[in-house]
Amino acid sequence: MKTTFKKTLLAATTAAVMGGIAGQAQAANWLFLQGTEPAGAAPRAKVWGFIQAQYQKDYSDPNASGGYIPPKLIGPDLTTQESFNVFRARVGVRGTGFPLDPKVNYFFLVEFGNNGITQPGGSFAKITDASITLNHIKGARIRMGQFKTPMSEEVYQGIAIFDYINFTSYAGQQLIERTPNQRYTANVGAQTLPVDQSNGGLTQFDKSVSAARDTGIQVFDTFKVGKWEHSYSVMVGNGNGLNYTDNDNNKDTYLYLSTEYVFSPKGGPFRPGVKAYVWSQTGKRLLDNTNDSTYNPTEHDRKRYGIGFKYLKKPYRISGEYNKAEGMIFVGPHSPTFDMNPSVPPGNGEDGKADGWYLDLGWYIPGTSWELDLRYDEMRRLIDDPFETKWKTTTLGFQYHFNRKSRLTVNYALRDVTAVNYGSGAGPNAQLDGIGNRLAVQLTHIF
Amino acid sequence: MKMAYRWLAVLLMLGLSLGSMTASAAGGEFAEQKIVLQISDPNPFKQTLVLNVANNVLKYYGPDRVKIEIVAFGPGLRLLFKENANKGRIKSLVDNGVRFSACKNTIRNMGKKLGHPPALNPNAVPVSAGVVRIVELLDKGYKLIKP
Repeated sequence: MKTTFKKTLLAATTAAVMGGIAGQAQAANWLFLQGTEPAGAAPRAKVWGFIQAQYQKDYSDPNASGGYIPPKLIGPDLTTQESFNVFRARVGVRGTGFPLDPKVNYFFLVEFGNNGITQPGGSFAKITDASITLNHIKGARIRMGQFKTPMSEEVYQGIAIFDYINFTSYAGQQLIERTPNQRYTANVGAQTLPVDQSNGGLTQFDKSVSAARDTGIQVFDTFKVGKWEHSYSVMVGNGNGLNYTDNDNNKDTYLYLSTEYVFSPKGGPFRPGVKAYVWSQTGKRLLDNTNDSTYNPTEHDRKRYGIGFKYLKKPYRISGEYNKAEGMIFVGPHSPTFDMNPSVPPGNGEDGKADGWYLDLGWYIPGTSWELDLRYDEMRRLIDDPFETKWKTTTLGFQYHFNRKSRLTVNYALRDVTAVNYGSGAGPNAQLDGIGNRLAVQLTHIF
Repeated sequence: MKMAYRWLAVLLMLGLSLGSMTASAAGGEFAEQKIVLQISDPNPFKQTLVLNVANNVLKYYGPDRVKIEIVAFGPGLRLLFKENANKGRIKSLVDNGVRFSACKNTIRNMGKKLGHPPALNPNAVPVSAGVVRIVELLDKGYKLIKP
């Protein structure tokens, strides 16, 4: 009798604990995790952040003249093939300013690290997120300000728990948007080492990368049906990255839908479940692509869309995405005008196409703090263009988790990049053939 | 006649078991332990902690051998807000006989700041003053725990 009773109580207790966590609806639902606070249980101001210190070494060979193009150098400064760097150092505050009203939340985050956000102009720091969420309407929460836009989850997830050090080629080039320079900026050729930085070297940008963020307004929510969670998000933003105000009258539209079967509500960002999602971003960009002294920008469509999935139930993780890009195809920091070569008819970057996919496998070795990671990704850049290039990368990695907030990540990326319309050593391949492998080591600490 | 005795026995057993269930749901008249948990801290982590403690005590003794009352006042009253993220856990603890008391003084003061009384969890039982309620319970032999 006593045993039966204890079992009943244990079941009830377990259900209670599970119910409690489910009620918070956070976990790996990034819409909620990044945009809301647990109702009635959020602090007035929670200080948090993370540091990612890293070392990278690139094993690429120079071209025949001893010159290096950006993929052969370590970003964001592109001055060397080997470097330590404090890549990300972010500090933020989040919570509910007036704790008696759980319906209003805020989120604020500043980047102090050295990356594409802070590198242009050598900024000391840059605000990446500043937003307010109103949770008054069931089924239609409202968030306004500057924040991450729902999209490919490789980019949209909390970057502090990203399982790799570098993004896939597609995400790094086509999703972490380089907003165009204000005026025409000439392409920069391969540079010999040491790179002369007096004119900016290989980084000719006058603005930060968008960092998958925009300033605008978002309506979103999640609906639970048994163990299923269905989420949506609709957002309208400036389409001008981290630059606060708009630079034209065009707005970007962001759509996101996801459905997830939750195996167990426990686990925080590592909540076990299987999830599928689809997203899109459409807008226009101004681009001054004429080499003259006049400001005469033209308007170009920029579309990004894709589908993805993620299965996570330790000890296994499988995730993958397929994404497409139309317009404003970024062809590298040496070509900030979005032309691959100004001597050919313009348009191969502005109105070009690209696509990319990846498959990621993770194995959390049971009973240990070790995790093995394997990712394969491909990108086709400037599809059907004379300068179409194909990027293939296999990333081997492992992570050692010192504790839940600190880990070591080691990646070794095997890279192969080819201009598909040229033979070995000809045309762009004179530069691309030498792109080699890359070692990256990173320590992450979240606080 | 035999049949009548049988029915009487069945009714008696039914009555006894119903009585036992009621006592169980209320924490038991013959509880071995009586515990009052205080939550008055603004730190949300304390909400989780106080619920965990109640849970663990229940698990150890069983609902029929322990009486637990959680008294919320001051900033700790947020635990008993209607939309609190822990409402699922609160409901489950209530189902196991735990009582949640909400300080009326705090409700009144929060109402002044909000412009209206805060919407409370339907399982919260308002008491005149949180501290007074704790003193009353101590007089009745409860042990005070403040996680």
